[in-house]
Amino acid sequence: MRLIRTVTVGVALALTAAAGLAGCSKKDGASGGSGDGEVTVAFVPKLQGIPYFEAMNTGGRKAAADLGVEWIYKGPATADPGAQTEVVKSLIQQRVDVLVVAPNDPDSMAPILKDAQSRGIKVMTSDTDAPNSVRELFVNQATAEGIGHAVTDALMEKMGGKGKYAIVSCGQTAGNLNSWIAVQRKYTAEKYPDAEIVDVVYAGEDEAKATSMAKDLMNAHPDLTGLVGECTTSAPGVAKAVRETGKIGKVFTVGVGTPASMKQYLEDGSSSAAILWDVEQLGYLTVWAGVQLKKGARLQAANKVNDKLTAVKYFPDQKMLLLGDPLRITKDNAGDYDY
Amino acid sequence: MTALARPLARRPAAGAIEGQEAVLIGVIALLWAALGLSVDTFFTASNLQNILATVAPVTIIGVGMTAVIVTAGIDVSVGSAMAVVMVIVARQLRDGGLAFAPAVGLALLIGALLGLVNGALVAYLRVHPIIITFGTLNLYRFVALEIFDGREVAGVPGTLGPLGGGAEGRTLGLPHSWVLAVALAALMWAYMRHVPTGRHLYAIGGDAEAARLAGVRVTRRLLGVYALTGLLAGLAACCVIGGGGLVAQSAGTGMELQVIAAVVIGGTSIQGGRGTVLGTVLGALLVGTVTSAVTLLGWPNELTSLFIGVFILVAVGSDLLRERRRRSL
Repeated sequence: MRLIRTVTVGVALALTAAAGLAGCSKKDGASGGSGDGEVTVAFVPKLQGIPYFEAMNTGGRKAAADLGVEWIYKGPATADPGAQTEVVKSLIQQRVDVLVVAPNDPDSMAPILKDAQSRGIKVMTSDTDAPNSVRELFVNQATAEGIGHAVTDALMEKMGGKGKYAIVSCGQTAGNLNSWIAVQRKYTAEKYPDAEIVDVVYAGEDEAKATSMAKDLMNAHPDLTGLVGECTTSAPGVAKAVRETGKIGKVFTVGVGTPASMKQYLEDGSSSAAILWDVEQLGYLTVWAGVQLKKGARLQAANKVNDKLTAVKYFPDQKMLLLGDPLRITKDNAGDYDY
Repeated sequence: MTALARPLARRPAAGAIEGQEAVLIGVIALLWAALGLSVDTFFTASNLQNILATVAPVTIIGVGMTAVIVTAGIDVSVGSAMAVVMVIVARQLRDGGLAFAPAVGLALLIGALLGLVNGALVAYLRVHPIIITFGTLNLYRFVALEIFDGREVAGVPGTLGPLGGGAEGRTLGLPHSWVLAVALAALMWAYMRHVPTGRHLYAIGGDAEAARLAGVRVTRRLLGVYALTGLLAGLAACCVIGGGGLVAQSAGTGMELQVIAAVVIGGTSIQGGRGTVLGTVLGALLVGTVTSAVTLLGWPNELTSLFIGVFILVAVGSDLLRERRRRSL
């Protein structure tokens, strides 16, 4: 038993030390404070360290430099609502000027955002909304209609507006994915009456399983001519299935995927297009919006933010800024992005 | 097949095929026949190749897991161990331009090391293996995430394609990964049945202390089976990387449950002392067939969970019933 105790204590110490070191190395620029009169905008992603939010961080940092504000990027190590709450609370203690959150659990985040507001902090959401909270602004990357239409149109261009296709989605309970699929169903039925969605399957966040299920779908429906990979793991997964079964040019795929993961499939034609939004610009817009909020500036119906974001729409009834139309990534522009 | 015919109740049956295995062969044959009648494309090469190639990684790890569970142990860390192997090997393939053989060698080495850590903790700490490997499940996942360092590995080249699910991964229509899985299973089956140290695994699962007193080198055998399971997780990782593409942070998640399901459905007793690799191969094939069938038939996905759940309960239930009947005799 003494051996076990010694080992346990040793492991615990080692882990504490590792956690401490990790904490230090990730702290860059997170010291905060608004004593020098500079505006501080803090963003709390769902989790730190995944390419998506790191790209938002890159855009946010760029905006902070352009606009002369201080940018804090700090999130939990896992997509855990409790851990995220702790990060938000610590930022409230730091008295940042603007607090932006992409909540893991919108409902449990609401009372904390209220607490922040009562201490004079401007509160926003970005990427994911907390609709039942006191947030004064939501920076939305894309609407369900925007994504659903873009995916369907890109696929239909290749399928000639007709034929059977299937969808490989990820988590069966993922609200955003399900809302996109609902739009795709409706839009396909209305705009492309000769096309049909034959099945929707769920592979989880597992690229290998998405590949296997896409092959099952092609086997079950020999006349299938299209596949949609609804999330960033199933988008390369369905493309890989088409490549491995030698059906490039016979079965077309479109997916919601990142440029880096889709590049090789876009190049060999197993994927026709990837649909995403410009994540760096989403980070940029988030900081810009935070500054407007702090200044008390009125947002216009269309706002010029920078050279790329020339007409960002504002919807006053929903207090929402919309980044714009989704980005269509093809073999020609996949190399322009490093996420 | 009466229990009286056997000298020792805990030994496998005298015939080459046990009761549960015969039942499984029957169930799979029936299922395939039914699917052949209801799905036009079931008996096409592309469909069977997909099922076999998908089942191969589960079967490969299942070969080691069967031995572990026969010793009354378990290893729930295999999915996380795969993630560690996958991120390191995928990076080396993409950035270091590693060739096929060194890549597989590296995967086996890392896998075996992670397995050896499990084995050492299990053999020397004498804490239940589910606690140990539950701990390493989290530790290995942490290690994998640290190596990922916030960036998934995209654009992995197809160096390991000969082990993957594409055309280069097949010879005479058979997926290499599946042939490999069957060959490994055959070796392990013969080892556990005919080689004395293989028989010792059953003795350890029956009663480790009695086995130790009878001269079985328990520590060495335990180190061996956990290291082997880790090594096979490394090999399975190579099959999953296969033709390349994306290796994301979620790699290997849930693999342990698929493998354990195959082993248990294959008739291996979770209490140790009984089970065969042949059963595991059949269990993996049954699970793989059902998973594919649900999509082929256009049924809702969640039915897969229902079927696998029922299979596990039926398999464990019939195992308990047999055990009880044996004891009452």
